[in-house]
Amino acid sequence: MEETRWTLRVRAGSKGPSTIYVRRRQFQAGEPLHFDPEYAHATAVEYLLAAIGADLVGGLQVIARRQSLQMNQVEAVVSGKLNNPLTYLGVVGEEGHPGLEQVAVTVYVSSAESEARIRQAWDEMLKRSPLVNTLKPTVRLDLTVKLVI
Amino acid sequence: MPRPLVVGAVLYDPKVATIWDIMGEFFAQQGCPINVVFYSNYGLQVEALLNKHIDIAWNSPLAWLDAQHRSGGQCRAIAMRDTDRNRVSHLVVKQASDIVTLEHLRGKTLAVGAKDSPQATLIPLGFLQRHGLRPEIDLQVRRFDLLVGKHGDHVGGELEAFRCLERGEADASAMLDLNWDRWAGDGTISPAEYRILASTGSFDHCVFTVREDFPRDLEEEWLKALFSMRYDDPRHREMMDMEGLKQWLPGRTTGFGPLGYAVEQLGFFQGR
Repeated sequence: MEETRWTLRVRAGSKGPSTIYVRRRQFQAGEPLHFDPEYAHATAVEYLLAAIGADLVGGLQVIARRQSLQMNQVEAVVSGKLNNPLTYLGVVGEEGHPGLEQVAVTVYVSSAESEARIRQAWDEMLKRSPLVNTLKPTVRLDLTVKLVI
Repeated sequence: MPRPLVVGAVLYDPKVATIWDIMGEFFAQQGCPINVVFYSNYGLQVEALLNKHIDIAWNSPLAWLDAQHRSGGQCRAIAMRDTDRNRVSHLVVKQASDIVTLEHLRGKTLAVGAKDSPQATLIPLGFLQRHGLRPEIDLQVRRFDLLVGKHGDHVGGELEAFRCLERGEADASAMLDLNWDRWAGDGTISPAEYRILASTGSFDHCVFTVREDFPRDLEEEWLKALFSMRYDDPRHREMMDMEGLKQWLPGRTTGFGPLGYAVEQLGFFQGR
């Protein structure tokens, strides 16, 4: 089987955000992370958290379609915690590292299906999730699904 | 282009870095660029100042005293916020408490902030000592040592001390006047349930500090830029609001007496 690879290009802006070119699309990303709520761009850490949320939500939809499960709405709330954000700022005397230590995701599924069927689909999705399987060895993942009728 | 002056600051919360980003831009625009180095605690910052790793330190009042203590008085206080001047700390009790004079605190429990907090621990304890109440002898002290090394910048210990009073585990708690105002305003404290028993003498708070050998011309140039910040200029106001001031003022050392007294009485720098 031929190896499948995904390739994209990231070009730094002179002062502003980086531009990411992926296939025939492009989008922008700001600094690795930022502490100003008014900062104008999504940061790299936010993109990573968004990617995890999209992986879970999108993955669940794919499984649902294959199993003919009716899901009206699927929505995730994602939060992440760094080991020590002050190390990112280079604070002298701080210990730890700026890596993600924990990611918490709650996925809300609005469906008339039984909870058992939804949970089965959730478990199947987790087994197949590229990002969950990538991050699981190094980051504490607290992943929850909640059925909302 | 002149060499950027290196300014040290202690960071207790990453959000504070945003203020320094804006300050950095401001100084660059004034043609007086700065590089900011963050420290996790004031001990490291004072050491960096005295070892000439930084030119200017944004010091807590305790860090100012520490710098003077370690350098044998070879530092200068060059600038401070208007809000750093003439602060007081309050000793707060419940409205219903039968404590109405300082003397009534004898045998009672006072909740205070971190052991190195000037406003929530050292100055209030020095104040009591001056009025004949020796901490841990004439009254119990319940301390909340949150983020020691940051000299109480993080109000966590101060708030925990108030929570202790709230739970009835202490008879009084100590806090900075600005925090009393803020917490009474945001509902953390109900003024109907708590009252100020006494207030300490006035004292000064943070101060930009340089070594005595820091060149006067560089200091003047930097201060000229700093003092050009105007609250009525919308470009400066956001930064000044974030830093909690309306005007930068020259540094002065006359307001560190109450802390100096407390530090001496409590033997804070002893054994180092």
